[in-house]
Amino acid sequence: MGFTKWFPEAFEEFRCVSIYDVLKEYLETGRIKVDKSKFAGKKVTLHEPCNYFRKSQMSFGQHYMEEYRYIIKHLFNDEDIVEMEPHGLNGICCGAGGGAWAMPYTKERLDYGKWKADQINATGAELLCAPCHNCRDQIMKALSKEFNVTARVFYLWEMVAEALIIEPWSEEEVKKAHEERDAQYERDGVEIEEEE
Amino acid sequence: MEALDLTKRPKNKLAVQPEWADVCFTCGTCASGCAVTGVDGWDPRKAVRAVLLGLEQELIDSRWPWICTLCGRCQYACPQGVQLLSLLRNARTHRERDKVPGVIHKGVVMNLERGNNLGIPEFDYLFLLADLSKEMEEGTVELEEEDAEEYPPYPGFYCPVDKEGANIIVTINSKEPMGEPYDMMFWWRIFYAAKESWTVPKQNWEGVNWGLFSGDDEAMKEQVGRVIENARKVGAKTLLYPE
Repeated sequence: MGFTKWFPEAFEEFRCVSIYDVLKEYLETGRIKVDKSKFAGKKVTLHEPCNYFRKSQMSFGQHYMEEYRYIIKHLFNDEDIVEMEPHGLNGICCGAGGGAWAMPYTKERLDYGKWKADQINATGAELLCAPCHNCRDQIMKALSKEFNVTARVFYLWEMVAEALIIEPWSEEEVKKAHEERDAQYERDGVEIEEEE
Repeated sequence: MEALDLTKRPKNKLAVQPEWADVCFTCGTCASGCAVTGVDGWDPRKAVRAVLLGLEQELIDSRWPWICTLCGRCQYACPQGVQLLSLLRNARTHRERDKVPGVIHKGVVMNLERGNNLGIPEFDYLFLLADLSKEMEEGTVELEEEDAEEYPPYPGFYCPVDKEGANIIVTINSKEPMGEPYDMMFWWRIFYAAKESWTVPKQNWEGVNWGLFSGDDEAMKEQVGRVIENARKVGAKTLLYPE
């Protein structure tokens, strides 16, 4: 939002991307591979953070519904994705947005979150994807306890990371990385003890 | 008694256009879809009315614009395009800074002074990244949770800081280095697998813009400017928006 308002030139100068764009691109181009069996047999429900969905749509005419589900469908079969009602651009806020997570109005934040908690519980899903630090904290650390949300909460990038198929780098790549790392630590005065 | 013509009122300090008095139908769609309708007797429709009637100070002094999570459902549903989000955020802007609830204004001040909302010193930050990098590379990550999985080694992994010519530059949410450092590894593992050329900034790496929430445009602009400045500094091609 700040980019459009104050630094529109940044859009010319840089490619500006969201996490949805990056993850989708990695999967689409095969730069990363994920193992779909990782979460096999588990049902997942998807939370849409206000900022990248409804508010992004209102400010930029762009939301990430399609990218979000594109990524999720690499991890889950269609029949294991259970939507909350309402979801998407009419979705319900976690209750801790707008800085509320860091504000003193705890009772109000939890009352608000009950709507979200009920929505999640109604899906019966065992896993919940919350692609936002704030939403994830509210659901995982507050709503879970307060309203018995049993679904395990993941970031979207956490789900992707957990399902990654890692191919270790070649010796040459490792060597190059070590050189770069050593140069960086030297520049920044970082010393790491070797415990061998 | 004559009818009050609200459209003739001077523009008020929340920058609500007087014409909105006619634009808003007072239909209450906004209030119906709002999770905090009724809290302290307020709702979005009442907020618009109050401001148009010249009662903006009552809104500014109330808790309500801060209990509202700026989720935007009211505005998204409004059939008349009333800009409720900017009205409610403006109400926050007009709150005296020392009366901003909670820690967000303190975080804003801290960020302006030290480059992140929680005031993590540069040395601690660099050392933490290096330490975690080593654990991840060697596969010695030990997580506390019982059901935590073992991480395999990631030969060659390190967290690049101010790497010249990196393709993609990313910010960090200060709560992670402060309290949940291992959560940074989710992205690190993805970047490793993708063999991405990436970097985090050495300074001013905060990814959470609390000025947005405290209604502080100056601070918000400064924070966004830093993200761009850091990208220019290393010649990055791609900016990844914070989550």
